[in-house]
Amino acid sequence: MPFGSRSWWAGLLRDGFGVGFWGFAAFAVLSGLACYLVLGPEAFGVALDDDLDLLLGTVPRIVAALAVAGLVWAMLPRDRLTRLIGRHSGLRGLAIATAAGIVTPGGPTSAFALLAVIGGGGADRGALVAYITGWSMLGVQRLIVWDVPFMGVEFSATRFVVSLPLPIIAGLIARALPLRLTLAAPTGPEAGSR
Amino acid sequence: MSVGALVLGAMFAVLAALAAARRDDTLRRGMERAAEQFAKLVPRMLCALIAAGFVAQLIPSAFIARFLGADAGLTAILVAAGAGMIVPAGPVIAFSIAAVFARSGASVPALIAFITAWTLFAAHRIFIYEIPLLGLSFLRLRALSVVVLPLLAGLIATAAGWLATGVAAP
Repeated sequence: MPFGSRSWWAGLLRDGFGVGFWGFAAFAVLSGLACYLVLGPEAFGVALDDDLDLLLGTVPRIVAALAVAGLVWAMLPRDRLTRLIGRHSGLRGLAIATAAGIVTPGGPTSAFALLAVIGGGGADRGALVAYITGWSMLGVQRLIVWDVPFMGVEFSATRFVVSLPLPIIAGLIARALPLRLTLAAPTGPEAGSR
Repeated sequence: MSVGALVLGAMFAVLAALAAARRDDTLRRGMERAAEQFAKLVPRMLCALIAAGFVAQLIPSAFIARFLGADAGLTAILVAAGAGMIVPAGPVIAFSIAAVFARSGASVPALIAFITAWTLFAAHRIFIYEIPLLGLSFLRLRALSVVVLPLLAGLIATAAGWLATGVAAP
């Protein structure tokens, strides 16, 4: 499917509005209904209002994050990545992946898009789990923007220190679990070459 | 503009310049992938964000808070971890709930378990990003790998508290 062709656009539409989308739409309607019936129209209005604010703030950031992840994916030196955080990278690979997760800026869009990038680029399962766990639990941006204002410096520092070894433990568990891992195939013309 | 958006914007400018300097199809391929992921994510995300706001309103945080006191020990950590797993929304809501818990006397290890569980299992992230971009088999692997972490974080925090106050274990 060449970029920009009619079939490419059709593929985009299929991806965007497939079964998954309608499932989500149904869930949104049902939870809205439950909220309205259980908590009344006022709580419904508050929730909807917050949601719309959140949406307006989120979409521009998603565009930026996906553009960055797309470029990283196109330029990533795969062999070097495999050496750093591939199957034989040991504890050091897990530590590197955790550190990368901690410093990854931006919200879930950039983190998960980059996770898909390094997953396709030869990172092993332990490193993938360590990376996203490091980002989830310890991401500096969330710590500074959310933890500190809401919970205070002392609590946030305690949480950070207590959690520091945990992404590596998760990576070790992921390497030990006897599960098959098949990553979602990327769409588009590159799918075959990875 | 938030700091995060500025950082992302700057990163994009640098990467786009580097990609363009290669004078091959790198820039085009990168943008193509971005457009494809955008199509996959954004329509679902709109619905999921709206649903998350409603579900968050439905969580009985004041009721849960009663079980999180320091005297509840391991039970508090377990309840808090369970509560963290079911918060299907972003940081505004999760931290507001954590603040409710803190005000009603939740222990530090319980709060740490709650926040850790939320960061790892926030359902909106799983449905909006993880399943479309990585797939179910990755979700299964990750969930099984990290499910004990909220508990571990709470226990380590408990041990750290004992060390800090110099009190022997009760």
